[in-house]
Amino acid sequence: MTVLIVEDERSLSHEIEIFLTKEGYHCDAAFSGAIALQRIEENSYDFVLLDLGLPDTDGLLVLKEAKAKGCEAAFIILTARGHVDDKVKGLEMGADDYLSKPFSLAELQARMQAILRRKHGLKSNTLQIKDFVMDINNRTVHHNGNLVPLTKKEFDLMHYLALNRNRVLTRMQLIEHIWGDTMDEEYDSNFIDVHVKNLRKKLTAFAPIDWFETERGIGYRFNLPGT
Amino acid sequence: MRLQLKFVIYNALSKALIIGAFALLLPAIAEQVVYKHIDSRLEARRDLILKKIKLGGLDQALLEEDCSFDDYNIFKEEFISIQPISNDGAHNPDSSVFSNEIWNIDEGNQQEHRVIRQPFLYDNQWYELNIGEGVSAIEQLKRTIVTFSLYSMALIVLISVFFDLGFSRLLLRPFYLIVDKKLRRTNSPMQFHFHKIKSTTYEFAYLDESIDNLMKKIQDAFNIEREFISNVSHELLTPLSILKSRLENIVADPSTPEHVSLKVMESQKTIHRLSRIIRALLMISRIENEQYLKDEKAELKSVINEAVDELEDRAQSRNISISQQTENFQYQPCNRSLIYTMIFNLVNNAIKYNKDNGSIDISGKVSGNDYVLEIKDTGCGIDKSQIEHIFTRFKKLNKDDDNSFGLGLPIVKTIAEFHRIDISVQSTLNEGSTFRLVFRKSTV
Repeated sequence: MTVLIVEDERSLSHEIEIFLTKEGYHCDAAFSGAIALQRIEENSYDFVLLDLGLPDTDGLLVLKEAKAKGCEAAFIILTARGHVDDKVKGLEMGADDYLSKPFSLAELQARMQAILRRKHGLKSNTLQIKDFVMDINNRTVHHNGNLVPLTKKEFDLMHYLALNRNRVLTRMQLIEHIWGDTMDEEYDSNFIDVHVKNLRKKLTAFAPIDWFETERGIGYRFNLPGT
Repeated sequence: MRLQLKFVIYNALSKALIIGAFALLLPAIAEQVVYKHIDSRLEARRDLILKKIKLGGLDQALLEEDCSFDDYNIFKEEFISIQPISNDGAHNPDSSVFSNEIWNIDEGNQQEHRVIRQPFLYDNQWYELNIGEGVSAIEQLKRTIVTFSLYSMALIVLISVFFDLGFSRLLLRPFYLIVDKKLRRTNSPMQFHFHKIKSTTYEFAYLDESIDNLMKKIQDAFNIEREFISNVSHELLTPLSILKSRLENIVADPSTPEHVSLKVMESQKTIHRLSRIIRALLMISRIENEQYLKDEKAELKSVINEAVDELEDRAQSRNISISQQTENFQYQPCNRSLIYTMIFNLVNNAIKYNKDNGSIDISGKVSGNDYVLEIKDTGCGIDKSQIEHIFTRFKKLNKDDDNSFGLGLPIVKTIAEFHRIDISVQSTLNEGSTFRLVFRKSTV
């Protein structure tokens, strides 16, 4: 998988690159709109991560031009500008997703996976977690054909951990994914533990889940080596 | 009082005043004119008689004039009399005197006459010639003139009121157009249309231009603020984004020791808090800066359901029951996601400040054209002295609660104001609070 990171803030571009490289993506960086367009023309990327506030041009124009040139990469807009209509405009112009800064790298990675599944048009959009099968479209989890009764939040939690498998997700990362900005970090930071506890209890009723690991005080991990 | 009406009343009054003054003066003028006329007639008559006396003698003249030596009259309206007067004293035959006198004509019938007195010498005897003409006709004339002018005044004023009404309406039309199109129908300065309203009246064109100029200034200020918000947003959120990504990479690195990861987790909390505050402030600024569109419909019942669903697990975790009795109401035009945020924040607060095992009652009723939404909790309540501060930014209600940044309710307030939703709070300390929202049916 190849990714073009169009971001003029080099430190940020660098951090994204470190993270995605570890995930097995090949990353290129462009620090301006002109270079981005040049790279897009020269290479064929799977993803373009596009900052809107570029020094030389508006990111939306880069998107427009790239689309006009027939670029087939999936575009994810990353912006700190946060004009109310940026999101709508971006999606209308063919962007696949939109993340406003500050975003989480785990979230970015999860969105990229979701786009991949969508783009490849998998009829049965499922994730295999050991003996459990997650149906992403129907938002259900089955074990040997038996439905595991999860709430919406529990499913979201399991899905996010599955997409970020083999990596510890801190409680803050999980909170942000599930509740976004609406959560008070102190008021609810233990609240995520309640949800994890409930999820574990429900999964354990079907099969042992030693792969569902707790990093004490930090967060949780689906330890599924080789998947 | 409307300007149009004032204008018409002023016009009518001033006309009545002018015509009234004229009507008052008219009889006096008429009198002057009539007396002048009578006087010249009397003089002509005097000259004629004196001439006859000179030519044919006094007797002949008396005979011809059909009047007595002493007092004689044919008509009551006029008379001629010639009386001998004493020869003593100086009589000036060249001077005649006009006067108004009451003459006794018939028995007991006295009438006012205009009289000319003319002394003359005949046969060495001085006589006085008196010629009189009745003036009761003049009084009648005066009355007629006054009556006529009063009626015509009333008529003229009435007609002019009618025309003034029409004319002033026509005259004031641009004014009402300006107020209606430029002020009343302009909900936000950013939606203002700079089209000239045609008027040949200088003042209205001036008003129109002044409003345009003012709006231009406001729009410029809004645009500068918009630019500023955008810049602040970028300048604050970009470094935050770098920090956040870096911390994630540190946690994701297997070589990071556990005690460092713990610190990083704490830092993530701080960053979350910081970004939450910045986003909340930016949201408030953007709403106040009219950056959100209000062009959607919201089925309030389903918006409330969504918010409650999203928060159900939080309520459950503290065993707080939420009961909902909501009628549906289609609220428009609005920004649905802002309405959702507003209701979400209120329900979230009702959970957050509730006690364990407490309850929340949400009721939504259509009341006439309005929709009244009440969110009632059994929480800690708000002290009376604090109620006025709850919508103030960064006001903490509980001093021991570190995490009450007090932006939830300011956002609610801002969204409510943006939609012109009335919001009020009733609260009893330690018993709970009720937030009441009144959504008004749009008249647009």
